[in-house]
Amino acid sequence: MNKIGLIVEREFTERVRKKSFIITTLLTPLFMIALMVAPGLIMMKGGSSTKNVMVVDNTPGQFVGKQLVSGKTVSFTLLGEEMTVGQARSQFNDPDIAYGILVIGNDIVDNPQNLQLILNDASSMSVEDNIQSQIQGILRTERLSRYDIEDIDRILADANVRVSSIQTLKNNGLEDDGSSMEETSTATSWAMGLILGMLLYFILIVYGQQVLQSVIDEKQTRVLDVMVTSCKPFDLMMGKILGIALVAALQIVIWAVLVIGASAFIMPMVMGNSGIDIANAMASGTTDPEVIGVVSKLTNVGYLAGLFLELLLYIVGGFLFYASMYAAIGSAVDTPQDAAQFNGIIMMPVIVAIIVMMNVMNDPNSGMVFWCSMIPFTSPIVMMARIPFGIPVWQVAVSLVILYISFFLMTWIAARIFRVGVFMHGKKPSWKDLGAWIKMK
Amino acid sequence: MESILRIENVSKTYTGHKALDDVSMEVPRGSIYGLLGPNGAGKTTLIRVVNHMTIPDSGKVWFEDHEITADDIYQIGYMPEERGLYKKMKVGEQAVFFARMRGMGRFEAIDKLRQWFDRLGIIDWWDKKVEDLSKGMAQKVQFIATVVHEPKLLIFDEPFSGFDPINQNLLKEEILGLRDRGATVIFSTHNMESVEEICDDITLINKSRNILSGPVGEIRRKAGGNTFQVTYSGDRERFISSVSGKATLIGDSEGLIGGYTQQKIHIADDSDVRPVIGLLNENVNLRSFQEIIPSMNDIFIRAVNGTL
Repeated sequence: MNKIGLIVEREFTERVRKKSFIITTLLTPLFMIALMVAPGLIMMKGGSSTKNVMVVDNTPGQFVGKQLVSGKTVSFTLLGEEMTVGQARSQFNDPDIAYGILVIGNDIVDNPQNLQLILNDASSMSVEDNIQSQIQGILRTERLSRYDIEDIDRILADANVRVSSIQTLKNNGLEDDGSSMEETSTATSWAMGLILGMLLYFILIVYGQQVLQSVIDEKQTRVLDVMVTSCKPFDLMMGKILGIALVAALQIVIWAVLVIGASAFIMPMVMGNSGIDIANAMASGTTDPEVIGVVSKLTNVGYLAGLFLELLLYIVGGFLFYASMYAAIGSAVDTPQDAAQFNGIIMMPVIVAIIVMMNVMNDPNSGMVFWCSMIPFTSPIVMMARIPFGIPVWQVAVSLVILYISFFLMTWIAARIFRVGVFMHGKKPSWKDLGAWIKMK
Repeated sequence: MESILRIENVSKTYTGHKALDDVSMEVPRGSIYGLLGPNGAGKTTLIRVVNHMTIPDSGKVWFEDHEITADDIYQIGYMPEERGLYKKMKVGEQAVFFARMRGMGRFEAIDKLRQWFDRLGIIDWWDKKVEDLSKGMAQKVQFIATVVHEPKLLIFDEPFSGFDPINQNLLKEEILGLRDRGATVIFSTHNMESVEEICDDITLINKSRNILSGPVGEIRRKAGGNTFQVTYSGDRERFISSVSGKATLIGDSEGLIGGYTQQKIHIADDSDVRPVIGLLNENVNLRSFQEIIPSMNDIFIRAVNGTL
């Protein structure tokens, strides 16, 4: 036991003191935030410069062109009625002067497809969107005015009802006015689950690979020969797994502190109203209250702390389960190349788990999702996505018990492979060899 | 003499290849024991069997008075041929780590290690990373890490490879010192000079079998086969007649500067050399009479080629 402690200590301190650890720990959250906020900011600030669009309007009295409004994205210049498309094309062919020429057909009200944009430059989605929506609005008003109905605008505005969200509540069985019920939100839960599931996926892959790499390295440098004459192979394996697990735990705790700290102090301070804007921008400009809900949940410290606790339980179990597999493989091969084949087999359940996780939003309690959250190979990741939906406690408990029992079983199997594998050099073992090693006395 | 390690009829087969074939050997306590053999003869496999890293197919290994167990490896210090150190770790920390892995307390380890580092002249390297050391430096670190916890049995696989002659001597002195303080040392090597200098006993393994075992002096004398180099001046006929019947001449005589002649002779294994010397002394001017002891290098080559 005391030897395991020593190995854990060494693995932990060596890794934590590395510059790469400090850098990734501090930069990853920044990078994630940048990744989330950047598209919103870019969309808010708009693209680059304003595009100049020349308008050739063939409608009577140029009534469509006159109604086009210049803005930040596009600036319209209405050309005279006498100007033909050909003249305009030869006169405005310099992209510095004109981004393009908009040709509006004379029968556009009845034939809305009679609209062309001739470009001198690369096409731009935002310019096209802008033109389309303006023309659409002009044509709509024009067509409505044909019916000659008084107050048409007010009637339309009144009729334009939008149900943007349902308040979803968790029934707690009490016969009160309903205020004791907890509010739930599908989108929020899904977003949280997705983020957490991905985080766990990242940890399984990154740190699992570190266990694998660490064993292979020691085998290659022959440190292993010295180590196994000082301790039992099992101690060495557990020491490595636990040491690297501690590093992962430390990293998550630091991230949690950073995220909780950011949401408790910095986000409200910096964002205020603009936080909502960013949230809107994040959802491609919609004002969907669900998205705003996610942001407000992310700023709820208690909610986050609770989630991180559950996350940690699954991370520990899931990581230990997978890490012991990685350790066994590391011991059995000589080079990372040889490990690739076995690695692929380990990755399969992880990928299945990710796919199932994506489906959790449709029905967090479907049969497939339920069973995948019980099977230890997939349960850590799938549960990450399910927990935010508020699933029964017994399911979490049973799944955790299965996970931890499986971890002990897997460690036992891995230790038996490890014990033989660390001394094997040269030939890459087959599955049959691994089986024989497990059974070996 | 009481033995610390006894290997009895050990065999080990890897897929299609017999690495050890019925090998036995006995290492006396407090001796320096050389494990010799050409590359691929099975030395490392044998060492791995002793270290409990490989389980033999048959045969037994006894440590002190009992069959060796996994716990006995803590009494054994092992320095593998391919040196293993954590490259990114600082030298001092690493040595402390290995010492603690072998049961020393932190402060005891630091104390002892500093003494060792000082003695081998690498104390300035305490805070350097292993990857910054030269090969010889790293070897010294590895050596210290192997011996610092003062195990009863030390096993060095090719301890002198990678060292310059000065450091080879330094290491030899340290190995002798360890023996004098009560440790038993087994080392495998190709360096036959070092075997002559420091080994008490050897075992020579060739093609997975033990082909020669015993105290170094005895083996060399036996291999010499009672041959002597005689240097004399005087009448050759009288020389021949005085040894005839008691010894046979080997090869031709060689003339030496100053009128001396040199002749190799062989005396029958169980007979006394004194009458031969007496007769020679009477009949010729005897300058020297010296037993020919073959070098370990010769013995090694002859044994491996089957001409010993």
